[in-house]
Amino acid sequence: MRNEKAAIRNWTRLQSRLGRQAARSVVGSGLLSSLAGIGQAWCVAVVLGHALVGWQGAAEGSIFPAWPFLLFPALAILRALCMIQADIAAARAGIVARRRLRGEVMAAILAGGPALLRRTHSGVLASLVVDRIEALDGFFGRWVPASVLWMAAPVAILVPVGIMQPRAALILGLCGVAVPVGQAVFGIGAAVASRNQFLAMTRLQARFLDRIKGIATIVLAGRTEDETRRLADAADELRVRTMKVLRVAFLSSASIDCAMVGAFILLAVLDGRQALVMQANGPSPALQHVVVASLFALLAVPEFFAPLRSFALAYQDRAHAQGAATAILDLPEVTERPVLDGARTVNANGVMVAFDDVGFTWDPARGPALEHVTFTVPAGETLVLAGPSGAGKSTIMELLLGFIAPQSGRVLFNGAPLQTIVPDALSRVVSWIGQKPVLFAGTLRDNILFAKPDADERELASALRSAAVDEFLPTLPDGLDTHIGEGGFGLSGGQAQRVAIARAYLKNAPVLLLDEPTAHLDPVTEKSVFESLQRLAVGRTVILATHSAAAHMFKGRRIDLQNGRVVNRQGAA
Amino acid sequence: MAMHDQSATSPANTQARAAGGQNLPRYTDWQAICVIFRLWRRQGARLLVGALLALAALACGLALMQVSGVRLAGCVLGEIIVTTALLRWVGAGRVTLRYAERLFAHDAMFRALADLRVWFFHSLARGAAAGLGFRRAGDMLSRLVSDIGALDGLYLRIVLPLLCACLTFPALLIIVGRQSLLLGLGVGVLFACSSFLVPWLIARSGRKSAEQTAHLLAHLRISVLDLVGGLREIRAFGAEGRMLARVQAADAALLHGQMGMARRAAFANALAFLFGQIAIFLVLLAIGGVVLPRLGALEGVSLLFLTVAAFESAVLLTRAGLQAGIMGASARRVVEMAVQPGAARSQVALHDAPENTHIRLEAVRFRWAEDRPWVLKGLTLDIPPGSRVAILGPSGVGKSSLAALLLRAATQQEGHIFLGGEDITTLRPESVRSKMAWLSQATHLFDDTIRANLLLGRPDASEQDLWQALDQAAVSDVVRSLPEGLDTWVGEGGVRLSGGQGRRIALARTLLARAPVLILDEPATGLDAQTEQEFLRTLNTVSEGRTVILIAHRLTGVEKLDRIWRLSDGVARAAAL
Repeated sequence: MRNEKAAIRNWTRLQSRLGRQAARSVVGSGLLSSLAGIGQAWCVAVVLGHALVGWQGAAEGSIFPAWPFLLFPALAILRALCMIQADIAAARAGIVARRRLRGEVMAAILAGGPALLRRTHSGVLASLVVDRIEALDGFFGRWVPASVLWMAAPVAILVPVGIMQPRAALILGLCGVAVPVGQAVFGIGAAVASRNQFLAMTRLQARFLDRIKGIATIVLAGRTEDETRRLADAADELRVRTMKVLRVAFLSSASIDCAMVGAFILLAVLDGRQALVMQANGPSPALQHVVVASLFALLAVPEFFAPLRSFALAYQDRAHAQGAATAILDLPEVTERPVLDGARTVNANGVMVAFDDVGFTWDPARGPALEHVTFTVPAGETLVLAGPSGAGKSTIMELLLGFIAPQSGRVLFNGAPLQTIVPDALSRVVSWIGQKPVLFAGTLRDNILFAKPDADERELASALRSAAVDEFLPTLPDGLDTHIGEGGFGLSGGQAQRVAIARAYLKNAPVLLLDEPTAHLDPVTEKSVFESLQRLAVGRTVILATHSAAAHMFKGRRIDLQNGRVVNRQGAA
Repeated sequence: MAMHDQSATSPANTQARAAGGQNLPRYTDWQAICVIFRLWRRQGARLLVGALLALAALACGLALMQVSGVRLAGCVLGEIIVTTALLRWVGAGRVTLRYAERLFAHDAMFRALADLRVWFFHSLARGAAAGLGFRRAGDMLSRLVSDIGALDGLYLRIVLPLLCACLTFPALLIIVGRQSLLLGLGVGVLFACSSFLVPWLIARSGRKSAEQTAHLLAHLRISVLDLVGGLREIRAFGAEGRMLARVQAADAALLHGQMGMARRAAFANALAFLFGQIAIFLVLLAIGGVVLPRLGALEGVSLLFLTVAAFESAVLLTRAGLQAGIMGASARRVVEMAVQPGAARSQVALHDAPENTHIRLEAVRFRWAEDRPWVLKGLTLDIPPGSRVAILGPSGVGKSSLAALLLRAATQQEGHIFLGGEDITTLRPESVRSKMAWLSQATHLFDDTIRANLLLGRPDASEQDLWQALDQAAVSDVVRSLPEGLDTWVGEGGVRLSGGQGRRIALARTLLARAPVLILDEPATGLDAQTEQEFLRTLNTVSEGRTVILIAHRLTGVEKLDRIWRLSDGVARAAAL
């Protein structure tokens, strides 16, 4: 638990550091804008001071200096440009960071491979890549620059104020220091408020989403009224609890207000008193200087407190980062696959596959998945793996695909241990068809060409014919260009399996792994899919895991597995 | 009418709706927001007090800056125009009112958003809800729920700042105008530009880009889901690079769209800021007597400080405008979904379902919507009490429609369905559902404890009942072995359980309901072949004495059945056992 927290903190710190580099331009523009604001305050103070002292001296039509009237609009334009620059730079920082994080997470997911899906739901992973990272925009765009500016900008403002009016700078400084102190007293301040409010909303939203997703279940169980009431109760309880926290937490944002009000009043009263004393002696350059400096200090107050406010506002963006950190740290680290000495490729013509005393355990609590499994499939022959699910058939498939490595024994391709084969070379020699092929969002053509993007029309047509895809093509609205997958036309289980077979034809790999390819098909479809697979199997080394009775259509060796052990062999297996 | 509700749920239908005229209610964004405001009437007083406090706090804020300036200026002129006491009062008022406003406004907002959620849940449950489970609507629902989340900011981020600006505008106009009409007009127009015009423009342009961004986000989500779900295929075909490139392209398109939006927002922000600067500059000119008629020094100071303070709050409105576009679209989607045309109430008084559970369908014709093809074309079935029947057919043939009809989640257009000899359209839907328990792959496990999930089936079940149901579903050993037993949290959608375990918990809940008819709609889909068979074997033993209607696309051979029908072309044909 503690480790986890430390890891999250480290991650957040690392991201802040990375983000700060990108946010430099935001911080720079922000500082420049603050300073320009101070310059404007000076212009205004000069004009006002002149007017006041001039009035007091009853010098009608006294000539105002022209420069403040020119400088003020110039600085306004400069500030506007700074604001544009800062906003765009902040957006860019958020975009760069999100692109980087998405890349990292996708790499981790690809590296984790199918084994990742054994412990995490694909929907959860997708929402991490999309939503969680999307929510980090504010962290990089707002929080990171604000966390620098809240210190830097007020200090930068104090310098010119201090030069003009040391006492005003002291007052501002003291009031500024009071902000963090006040926040510490009331519990790290607006920060806590916004985080609590954010968490409360998130929790309510999660519960609400859960209930809405299951609304059919609720309605059909006749629990609508009950659940409506409970939803209202939960929302109400949450409100009461959150408001209790907010009541204290808002005190800390009030402390910013308090400090600002204090600064205003102190400056107005103290400087006013000084001016009152001086004006008794009539107008003088000294009076004018004091008036200008005092007005300047007063006008600088909002500028001084603005960064502190944005800091408090941006705090909830930090909470997003912590949420994302938990999910990202849960992913396996990307480790470069060690390329062993003598890494080799496999000759693509005829591959002999063998297991040599292989053992594998997924979870020690549940016992080994495979124990002392040994078999040999000569090039071009077929091996049927039979046995109930949980007997270890899928584990054998995952070993053959290289998704996992044997914990004992060796998996051999043409006599070479699997680990010594370059991953690319392995994926070139192996075709795989599972229980349910994944159809990607796109056209049917894209989905088949997935196996070999550079295949020409002739190859494609031959694959379509061999896999009998051409039999159902006429029933599709746009033939090969029909959109399938998410949001597209729904193919039946048998049709989807034919797409997978067409992919395998196109890939034309010497080893064919079939993992219960007909488990979800009805008997009639199963028979015709098996016929297509038989044609595909000709001349290839085939390993077929199945418990279907129709598997007898495949002539060849056969082993029966039970609890991870070979219990029966037929043929020369 | 229910079928219209259904039609809104599938993407294909959304297109159909856009193309052909449909009688679903259409709302403009503004109308939708009005519906939501009406909903908040109950909290009206609170929301109003929050707004009044916000206005008072704003007034104090404006006054604070003004009186500090005037105090200083007065001193220079040798008189104390603003007393220290007044200064203190205004200051204290500013701090306390702001605090009170925050508390009140947040409390009111929490209440309002609870109301919004309860209302949406209830509307959905009453109208379309029942049908949603029969279609894969999870994604659409998530989108709606995040739309509701977006509306949380409506009051705090849009309504309050807008109200404040609406009050500031005339105040500014009058106060400045009293000194100099010309200056007052100038400052007023600039304030209107900065607070109303720029936010309005950005809201209008934001709507379009918000929709486009949502589209790009959905595209990214699909490509990521493809990649994650297809990890095996990708590895097997060595397609890592290609799939990654696809995701990155989708990501780049999204980020590019967002950059465009950010750029426009940045310019709008700067524009609003410049309007404020021009206003301050005008006051400055008036003080100097340049171009504009000269102001008195004291009045000048007062107006200048007031203008500076007034335009400070205008920045909030540009941000509000940016969100308003997004919120308007959200409000429209939410309201259109929740406010369904009131189901035509049957004139016949509905009564409770009879004890007898003989089910008979006679020449039932059904389609989900008028522009959809017929799914059932004269379906006739006879299911005596206590019998075990299977209805088979490929997907899309109308099996789930049959379940929806039996559960009164949809109503047939022609023909009759009898339960115990009575037409089910004359029975109360709740009482029909109390006779029929439903289990499908869409049956939802809530992110709650196992106990809470089970109690949904029968809230008054005793501990013993729970364990008995778990026993029957052959999952009690698993639950017993969990460290927290019945109080184990199942996680979102039951992720902390394996697929088979989750389905068994759902089965236990279904059994707990003690309904005499079990409708099992592809109950084992998504499980691997072996788990599926074990699950179906369990079903053979638990459902003795009950009517079982198994809906599936194929049989595995382990089911014990009395009759089998094959559904094709909208009618059922008896098949050999």
